[in-house]
Amino acid sequence: MARYSLASQSVTVTAVADGTNYTDNGYLCFLQGGSSTMQCRVSEVQSGGESTSSAVMILDFGRDSTVAATGISGCYNANLDGSSVAPGTLAVFGRVSTTKPQRSATLGHLLHHSYNAFGGLARWQARQGEELTIIGNTASLGEFSYSAFTGATGIVSSHVIYELV
Amino acid sequence: MKTLASLEGEYTIDNRFNEGVPEKILVAQGLPATAGKGLFEEKCYTCSHCESVVVFNRQRTRPRGFCKKCNHVICDNCEAEYVSSGHVCMPFKAFAEEYRNNLVLGWSAPIAEQMAKQHFINQSYFLDKR
Repeated sequence: MARYSLASQSVTVTAVADGTNYTDNGYLCFLQGGSSTMQCRVSEVQSGGESTSSAVMILDFGRDSTVAATGISGCYNANLDGSSVAPGTLAVFGRVSTTKPQRSATLGHLLHHSYNAFGGLARWQARQGEELTIIGNTASLGEFSYSAFTGATGIVSSHVIYELV
Repeated sequence: MKTLASLEGEYTIDNRFNEGVPEKILVAQGLPATAGKGLFEEKCYTCSHCESVVVFNRQRTRPRGFCKKCNHVICDNCEAEYVSSGHVCMPFKAFAEEYRNNLVLGWSAPIAEQMAKQHFINQSYFLDKR
C-alpha cells in the first residue's frame, strides 16, 4: 500500500541495555502496528552521525519485549509518494511515551549498525521480499525500535523506510 | 528461477572521515572485524526463519546455514534450531500470515502466535513423513 519514511533528527542517544526502559528522546524511534492485525515491512534503515568529536555509535534495530503506550509523540512520518491516498489507519511511531518500550533480549538485535558518529553513517537496504516484518501491535512481534546499545554515545539522525501492507 | 544472489541486500558503513570503530566492538556486534575502518560495503541477507540481518563475512570458511524447505539461507542460530528440531521450517513471512489470520479470527496474540507455530511444526512433520 503506502510507503513511509520515519525520520529522527539530531538525537543525543542514551545507551540502554536489553529489557530496560528507553529514555524519552534518547533513542531514534519505535514503530508499532496501528491495529492488532496491521502488518508493516521495513525495507531500509539508515543513520548518520553528527557528533563534533569521535564517538562510537552502537545501534540496534529489533523487536521490543515491551511496547510503547500512551502519551506517544516525536519523529517525523512522511508518505514517500505524495500523490498516494493514505490508508485509514496509520502505524504508531515516536520516541516519547508514558509506557517506555524495552528492547527484547532475544529478538531485539535483528540489525546492527556500528560506526563512529563523528561523520560516519550506516545503511541497510533489503532486497524486495527480504524486508523485516511487524505484525499487530503487541509484544514481541508488533513493534520495532532503533536504539543505542550499551557503550554508545553521540548525536545521530536516522530514517526508517517502511510499507503498510 | 530465484537465485541466492537475488536475496541479497546491501549493507554500508562509512567511516572514511573519522578514526572508525574498534574491532572488538564490531566483532561483539556480529560484524566483520574489518567493517570499522574506511568504507565498508557488503552484501547481506535476511534470515528467512527469524528475520535477523546477517552481513557476509568473506573470511568465513564454514558453510552457511541453508533451509532446503524454504530454499533460503538462514542464520547460525536458526540453523542450530533447524537441525535440532528435526528440520522444522517456519519462514517468518509465512508465519506472519498464519499469525495474522488467527488474529483476524479473534484469537488473542499469545494464542494466535502459538497456533501459528504449531501449524508449521505439524506441516513439517507431515511433509517429512510423506
